[in-house]
Amino acid sequence: MSPDDMVDIFRRVLETDGVTADTDFFESGGDSLMGTRVLSAVARARGVELSFDDLLVAPTPALLADRVASVSR
Amino acid sequence: MVGIVPAFLEMDRTFPEKCAIECDGRGTTYAELAHRVRATARELGPEPGPVGVLTDRSEDTVVALLGILAAGGVYVPVDPAFPAARQRALLEAAGCTRVLGPTGLRSAPDALPDVMQAAAPDPARDEPHRASPDQAVGDPAVGDPEAPAYTLFTSGSTGRPKPVLTPRRAIAASVASLRDLFGLTPADRVLQFASLNWDTCLEEILPALTTGATLVFHEEAYTGSIPRLLRAVAATRVTLLDLPTAFWHELVRHLAESDEQLPDRVRTVVIGGEAVSPARLAEWRARDTGRVRLINTYGCTETTLITHAVDLHGPEAPGPGAWWGEHEGVPVGTPLPHVTDAVGPDGELLVSGPALALGYRDLPEVTAERFVTRQGPEGPVRWFRTGDRVSRRPDGHLVHEGRLDAEIKVRGIRVDPGEIEAHLTAHPEVGVAVVVGTRVEDRTTVTAYVVPRRADADDAALARQVLRDLRASVPGHLVPHRVTVVPGLVHTAGGKIDRLGTHRRHSPAAAPSAPAEHRGGLTEQDNR
Repeated sequence: MSPDDMVDIFRRVLETDGVTADTDFFESGGDSLMGTRVLSAVARARGVELSFDDLLVAPTPALLADRVASVSR
Repeated sequence: MVGIVPAFLEMDRTFPEKCAIECDGRGTTYAELAHRVRATARELGPEPGPVGVLTDRSEDTVVALLGILAAGGVYVPVDPAFPAARQRALLEAAGCTRVLGPTGLRSAPDALPDVMQAAAPDPARDEPHRASPDQAVGDPAVGDPEAPAYTLFTSGSTGRPKPVLTPRRAIAASVASLRDLFGLTPADRVLQFASLNWDTCLEEILPALTTGATLVFHEEAYTGSIPRLLRAVAATRVTLLDLPTAFWHELVRHLAESDEQLPDRVRTVVIGGEAVSPARLAEWRARDTGRVRLINTYGCTETTLITHAVDLHGPEAPGPGAWWGEHEGVPVGTPLPHVTDAVGPDGELLVSGPALALGYRDLPEVTAERFVTRQGPEGPVRWFRTGDRVSRRPDGHLVHEGRLDAEIKVRGIRVDPGEIEAHLTAHPEVGVAVVVGTRVEDRTTVTAYVVPRRADADDAALARQVLRDLRASVPGHLVPHRVTVVPGLVHTAGGKIDRLGTHRRHSPAAAPSAPAEHRGGLTEQDNR
């Protein structure tokens, strides 16, 4: 999953276009409930079932895309 | 009314070999659980007073809860993930001198009183038996029904949480009603999903363990991932789910978008905590959920777990329920058998009956404000003023219309915006602040408007810093979604800070011409 795909997911969930690969989910209005939407979207797109803890340690599209890549490798 | 501890020990006598708790696949029988409960009660000694419990997702927390109740003490759950200062404040406010918790949680020894270890099972000591000298502990109807059973906290405007003292009679009355409401049987398997630090978890634990049902803990249920939760529910054959409404909204979205179904053993889904979104309810109905009871519930910590309920969908939903949510709010239901309610002249819901709390510990003025005694036809009656504005429909169902004060609901947790404001203004770089909750569709967003203490502050950097500092110092439900730095707050003609006025001026999304104040718009009210 490319960082761009992840940026799209963040944009949909955070309902803002102002997301880049380095936007911090939790500093942009994200919370644990909205986090479930990111996890569900990643699971649908890639079949990788991340946890909320993954999002906590990798809160930007770039970091989270890296994490998906390392899990699915 | 049979107390919780005798009701649980009755299950030990009836189903000693039945699984009481299944934790990540490992089962504990009623006999083993009762044995651990008695051991904990013995270790605490009689009348131990308020005992803090550092909660975790395992049977240890259930053993601590029942052990403290069996000893005649007061259960005070504390989330070990909370910042240490918060843990200390909660323990002090509840009057705890001792804390039960697994070793390894002594990360802040100066912040916590003496930590003693939860009584671990000791197979060498003795077999679970029914005639031991410690049988006296917890077996008789323990103590005075007016004595407190547990202390939980609600948000306070001063920044200090308010400890609610819940007596034994309240929990006994409420749990008896909930066993009936849920239609629980010993064949049921109830997922422990709710946070162990709020009262919803007691809706899961206590009705199950006083029916002979099985309480299921599963680590995959707490990952924040709905696909993983659904897999855990299917694998553990859970029959009853109790979810915060805000989380249920996300579950419905997920089911609709992924075209998945609820695992087929689930027969009941209980929701509560805020207003049900009519859009999510319609999506739920459109799926294959006709066999599942969807029960909407309402209740306050001060009135013990659930006081009102209604089946919104499924086999026991009343016929006219089909149109609920299409033209007006989704109802929160009718009072349970142990509850008496009344609607005051200003629309405020008042609740009476044995489930009322004793009050707020060491806060007589706040207690007198919210717990009022009014003359009834048969003498004085004590009522709790919920602060919730409701209407009663011709069919008797209550509909939640909003709040009489500024309280908001954050992911199902009651929050006084004043509490967040108190934490914000304690920040060295913040002068004044207001907090506003806005509800859009099925979600509440909490926005803080802060005025910097220094004129030369970098707005974006300050907003980021305040958010980070808050995340480090207070629990998540007190952290706003957004911090917006503004030059000044809006005041009313009378000189008071105007929360909504500040929001309207500074929020790009809240233009004054936008439809507001109602469902889907700007609201400073909470909707359960």
